[in-house]
Amino acid sequence: MVRKRNYQTIRPRDYHATMKTLIIGLGNPILGDDGVGWKVAQEISRQLPVTDSQSPVEVDCAALGGLSLMEQLVGCQRAILVDALETGQGPEGSVRVFPLEALPNPSAGHSTAVHDTSLTTALEMGRKMGLDLPASVTVVAVEARNVYDFSEELSPPVAAAVPIAARAVLDELKRAV
Amino acid sequence: MTQRITIDPITRLEGHGKIEIFLNAEGDVANTYFQIPELRGFESFCVGRPVEELPLLTNRICGVCPEAHHMAGAKAADAVYHVDPPRTAKNLRELLYSAFFVTDHTTHFYALAGPDFVMGPDAPVAERNILGVIHKVGLEIGGKVIQARKYGHAVIEMIGGRKIHPCTSIPGGLTKGTTEDQRKEILEMGKWAVEFGQFSLKLFNDIVLGNKTYVDLILGDIYTHRTYYMGMVDENNHVNFYDGKVRVVGPDGKEFVKYEPKDYAQHIAEHVEPWTYLKFPYLKGVGWKGFTDGKDSGIYCATPLSRLNAADGMATPLAQAEYERFYSTLGGKPVHQRLATHWARLIELLYAAERWVELASDPETSGPNFHAAPAEIPTEGVGIVEAPRGTLTHHYHTDERGVATKVNLIVGTTNNYAPISMSINKAARSLIQKGTVVTEPMLNMIEMAFRSYDPCFGCATHSLPGQMPLEVTIRNADGEIVEMLKRN
Repeated sequence: MVRKRNYQTIRPRDYHATMKTLIIGLGNPILGDDGVGWKVAQEISRQLPVTDSQSPVEVDCAALGGLSLMEQLVGCQRAILVDALETGQGPEGSVRVFPLEALPNPSAGHSTAVHDTSLTTALEMGRKMGLDLPASVTVVAVEARNVYDFSEELSPPVAAAVPIAARAVLDELKRAV
Repeated sequence: MTQRITIDPITRLEGHGKIEIFLNAEGDVANTYFQIPELRGFESFCVGRPVEELPLLTNRICGVCPEAHHMAGAKAADAVYHVDPPRTAKNLRELLYSAFFVTDHTTHFYALAGPDFVMGPDAPVAERNILGVIHKVGLEIGGKVIQARKYGHAVIEMIGGRKIHPCTSIPGGLTKGTTEDQRKEILEMGKWAVEFGQFSLKLFNDIVLGNKTYVDLILGDIYTHRTYYMGMVDENNHVNFYDGKVRVVGPDGKEFVKYEPKDYAQHIAEHVEPWTYLKFPYLKGVGWKGFTDGKDSGIYCATPLSRLNAADGMATPLAQAEYERFYSTLGGKPVHQRLATHWARLIELLYAAERWVELASDPETSGPNFHAAPAEIPTEGVGIVEAPRGTLTHHYHTDERGVATKVNLIVGTTNNYAPISMSINKAARSLIQKGTVVTEPMLNMIEMAFRSYDPCFGCATHSLPGQMPLEVTIRNADGEIVEMLKRN
């Protein structure tokens, strides 16, 4: 049996229990408006005061879902996910903030073709396994339609939403958990 | 009666797997169409980029198997520059790739395939997921799955520089090596992975092979197609994921062709149907005969089961013993039953873990020569690896500066588009007769067909909630919708 060691990413938060909040911009940075989460995360990094390894806030970008995303959240007390969302409700570029529980959870049937499970199911599994996962996960979603064409540019309405979404994340940070 | 339907691009953007089923006047199935949202414009997006960027760009196509794109891209870039990476580089790449295979196959079996068998295909949908498996088999399973993924990601990060989208493979090798200490650490993790592979096969043996209902389900006709099979093999015709020649065997199991990656275009062509954006690859040497199996149809399959069928064995001892047991249990080679793919996947998992140990045991792996500088004028190159979901081909053309002028990719799942369509058609025919539509079981049968292939359609986007809903529309002979099934 292998000796127990932490093979998580070697990042500051693995070594500092002060880490409180993780902000992750999600999406695919080369798939048009699907990359909006990354752009918002970069904007937040610019606006936040320079962080050191003791900072209670960490900003990251990822192109993940399901189990892999859950594994990223291990060790933080609060997570804010920024992502494109395609609901067809509301105009492109509209920004909404809601708890993860408000997302539909289609993994009940783990239907069709996605090679994983939903984040909600993954989090439930992780908690069952006794992993140190945040009690609260908030989603900041930007309504987007153009997420099927390769491009590194955001469409104008979605690009206009970047500062608004960044502001929403920073407002969320100020709220007491 | 064949009715052509055109897909409105608007509907494509919903990100649904859409299945259209047309009935004839008697109420039986006339045709089925399986349409998928396909991402557009990747090849043109790559044109004008330096070729060494392509292993980084292409691994962004997909959040599921970026490692496969990174490796195929790196090998194509090696070929473009006519450079042969040194042994240390090849070892490191294949080591990373073996760890990736363990991780990916683990996720598939426990999160996707397992629930059908552990909970049973008739179990309520809400229970057929990884949580159901943990509930039924015990928490220990969940812990092992998390651990396997953790080790896999640790190796990918140590060698590939990043946990998810590796970035260290460049033309001629890698940007960095590993230390002796890291190699030993990777070796220890690999030993654990071998035990985990054995554990997974024992679980499959106890739960699936020990249950006559499941064995009958696997051996039943509904998911059986007698097609050609493709897979990469080494010089001994043993399965290899990272390097070798592509071998294709016929429905009779005899070798049909074996080719070097650079010659792929001589053997593979792509058929276009008017109702879908995705093409259907087929064997040029046989020809396209429509959605039918058998020796005269050029449809082939590229999956874990295909790789086992296309090879003469496994290169590592424990996996070889399992390989022999697989074929003796299922009545000889080749095996045509698609549900056996789940078993084949676990045999591959064990092989990948053994290979992980082999490569991490080689002192060369932590050697200093991890890169050979390209010295020739770049032209064009092909890189092929086996992605978990099938043979993955990257083909790059560049100008004399190494800037991409043309890019062609055949991704793992695309190989299987025709077989998947056939499986769906069979499932529909078996459950729809004389206008009677059995809804819930049909969705389950179609999902099970999907899952054995583990398709990865349009997986480059993962907008929340991050799963592709399935939509089935059934139309009568007049084209009117008689039933619409949706699973979100």
